[in-house]
Amino acid sequence: MAVRNLKKYFPVKAGPFSGKSLILKAVDGINMDVARGETIGLVGESGCGKTTAGRCILRLYEPEEGRIFLDPQKHAGVISRVEELDSLRLEKQALIDQMQRDLSGPKTLRKELRELTKEVRELRLKANGLAKNTDILSMGREQMSIARRRIQMVFQDPWASLNPMMLVKDLVGEGPKEFGTHKGAALEKWVFELLDKVGLPRAAANRYPHEFSGGQRQRIGIARALSLTPSLIVCDEPVSALDVSIQAQVINLLIELQDDFDLTYIFIAHDLSVVQYVSDRVAVMYLGKMVENAKASQLYKNPRHPYTISLLSSVPVADPEHKAEEIILEGDVPSPVNPPPGCSFHPRCRYAVDMCRKETPELGRDKDGHVISCHNPPNG
Amino acid sequence: MSKALLEIKNLRTYFHMHGYTVRAVDGVDLAVMEGENVGIVGESGCGKSQTAMSIMRLVPDPPGEIVDGEILLKGKNLLKLKEEQMRKIRGNDISMIFQEPMTSLNPVFTIGYQISEGLLLHRDMSKGEALAESVRLLKMVGISDPEERVKEYPFQLSGGLRQRVMIAMAMACEPSVMIADEPTTALDVSIQAQILRLMRQLQESKNTATMFITHDLAVIASFTQRVMVMYAGVVVEMASVGDIFKQPLHPYTQGLLSSIPVLGESKYAEDGSRKTLYTIPGSLPDPKRTIQGCRFTSRCSKVMKKCYEAEPELVFTEKNHQVRCFLYNDQVRSTPSHLDVSSSRKSRSRKKKKGKVRG
Repeated sequence: MAVRNLKKYFPVKAGPFSGKSLILKAVDGINMDVARGETIGLVGESGCGKTTAGRCILRLYEPEEGRIFLDPQKHAGVISRVEELDSLRLEKQALIDQMQRDLSGPKTLRKELRELTKEVRELRLKANGLAKNTDILSMGREQMSIARRRIQMVFQDPWASLNPMMLVKDLVGEGPKEFGTHKGAALEKWVFELLDKVGLPRAAANRYPHEFSGGQRQRIGIARALSLTPSLIVCDEPVSALDVSIQAQVINLLIELQDDFDLTYIFIAHDLSVVQYVSDRVAVMYLGKMVENAKASQLYKNPRHPYTISLLSSVPVADPEHKAEEIILEGDVPSPVNPPPGCSFHPRCRYAVDMCRKETPELGRDKDGHVISCHNPPNG
Repeated sequence: MSKALLEIKNLRTYFHMHGYTVRAVDGVDLAVMEGENVGIVGESGCGKSQTAMSIMRLVPDPPGEIVDGEILLKGKNLLKLKEEQMRKIRGNDISMIFQEPMTSLNPVFTIGYQISEGLLLHRDMSKGEALAESVRLLKMVGISDPEERVKEYPFQLSGGLRQRVMIAMAMACEPSVMIADEPTTALDVSIQAQILRLMRQLQESKNTATMFITHDLAVIASFTQRVMVMYAGVVVEMASVGDIFKQPLHPYTQGLLSSIPVLGESKYAEDGSRKTLYTIPGSLPDPKRTIQGCRFTSRCSKVMKKCYEAEPELVFTEKNHQVRCFLYNDQVRSTPSHLDVSSSRKSRSRKKKKGKVRG
C-alpha cells in the first residue's frame, strides 16, 4: 500500500487581536511520494511547517488545497483525470486572481468573473467527486473512517498525549473498540499482544499513564497507533522529548515494528542525525516549502541545497577532534506570515544571486536524483 | 596546573519529600580552573542541574537541603555565607544562563531594565550609565539595533535573541565563573550553532571559566575541555574531552556514546541488512529508593557480583582520567556515617513503597 502525496497547498489564517486576518503559509505547496514500507524523514527548523504537513496527512487540519492519494497505483486512471481537472481549475483560478486585482474594469468583466468562479467551483466538485475513493481530502465520512484505520499518528509529547484518566488497556483498546474490530475477550487479547510487541509488561494494562516513565509512555503511544494495524504511521517528533539512552530504545522499537507490521513511516523530527538514521528518504523543509528531497545516504554525503548544507554543517558532532568548516546560518527564520520575495531562503543564503530575490525556484530533479529548489546550487 | 577558581568538595544536595529522601546530588567533587570550560553531561534527573543550583545557592529549601560539602570560590566557602553576602556574589562573580530563554526572562520588564538590574546592584552605576552599558552588551552578543532592542519586551524577541539577551545579562558584570544550564537545548540547530560560537568567542576574550551543563554529548565535544559524566547523583567518569570520546571507561559513558546515531549513519548495514542502535537497557533508577552498591547495576552490561555489594570509589586510572567502576579499581566508596539514610531525620516516616514495573 502506498500513499502518494501529490500536491498540497494551504494557507492557515492567523487572526491577531486586531481582527485583521493575515495568511500564514505554514505549508506552501508540497509534493512527495511515499512508497510502501519506506520511511520518509521530514526535517527543518521549528516553524517550517513539518508538523502541519504531518497533521494534514491525517486530516487533523483541513488543507485549503491539494490532494493526498491513497493507493496511487490502483487508482492511476482516476488520479490522472483529477490532476487534469485540478490544473485546469488552477489556471482559471489564476485568471480570477488577475482579474480581481484590476477589478475597476467594466461590468462585463465582472460578469465574466462570476462565471469563471462558478466554473472553478464546478471543476473542484467534479474532481473531488472523482477522487473520493482515493484522495483523503475529498473523502466523505464513510470512506474517511476506513482510511483513518490505515493512517495513524505517534505524537511528540508522551506526557500530554495520553489521557491521564484512562487505563492503559482502555487507551490502547480505544481504537479497536470504536471501530469494532475487536470485542470482549478478543480485545483484551489484542491489547496484551500489542503490549508485548512494544515491550511493556502485561501488568501495565491495568495502570494509569502517570505511573510510567517517558520512554514507556511513548511505547503506549506507539501501541495505540498500532492498535488498528495501520499501513502508515506519522511519527511527529517521537523521540525528541526523551533522554539519549531511552531515545535509542524507541528508535530500535520503531524500526523493528516496521518490519513486523509492514509499516510505512513519515518521520518528523528536527534532529538530523536521528532522521538520517531511520529514514530511506529525507525531505528538508524551509518556510513551508520543500527545498530538498533525496535518498538519506545521498543527502548526507552530497547535500545540494544551500540550506541543507548549512543545516548539516551546524549539527554538532560527538568527536572533539572534528573540525569541520562551519557554515553558520545568520539570523532567524523569517516570519512565514510575510516571507521574503523570490526564494524564501535568499536573505540567509551565501550563494544568493539576483534571480533568487525575484523568482521563486521550482522543485527540479538533478542528475543524482536529488529534488531541489534552487536557482544557483553550489557544487555544480 | 593553574590554581582552581571554583572548587566543589563532596557536595550533597538532598530533597526531603514526604516519606522519602531524594539524593539528587550525592557527593560531587569538581575543580574548575581559571578560564576553563568544563562540561557536565547526564540524563534528566542525574543531578547536573541541582549541582549548578547548589553552587548558586538557589536550591529551594525546603524541601531541598545542602546537607554536606564545601563550595569554594577563590578559597571562600559559599555555603557558609549569609544570604546578603551571597547576593553580592550571584551575578557578579558567578552568573548563570538558564535553560529556557522563553521562561527565564521577566515578561513585564524591558530587556534594558533586566540587563541593567545587575549593573545597578553590583557596579554602582547610575541608571543612564547602566542603560548605555546594556546597549554595549547587546551589541557584544551580536544583536542588531541594540538602541531599539533595549526598549523591547521579551515577547518581542525570538528564542535565539532571548538566549543572547540571557548571555548579555550573565556577562554584564564580567563574572569569573559562568554556569550555562542547557543553554541551547530549546533552540534549533542553526541557532544553536550561532549561540555556541558566540559563547566560545566571549569565553576566549574574557577568559571566563564556564560550566556547561547539557545532555547533548555532541555539544560537549565541540565546546569543552574537560567532561564530567553524572549518573543518579554521582560522578561516574571525569576526563579530558579527547579521552572521554576516544576511550570512555565507564560502561555508562560507553553506552551513552554508542546509543546516539552519528550523522550520516543509517539503519542499514554495509550489506543492506537492518542493524540496531546500541541501547542501554532499562531506565534511570527510582530516585526514591536508595541503592546498595553501584547505582548503574540495573542497566550495566558488565555487572559483577561485587557491584551489588558496595559502591566503587571515583579513582584516577591515569593522569586526569577518573572513573567510578570496579572494572578498573577495587576501591570501595565510604559513606560518612552521619549521612546514612537509615538514620536520617526523615526516615522515621518512611513508608514502604510498592515496587514499580520498570521497562
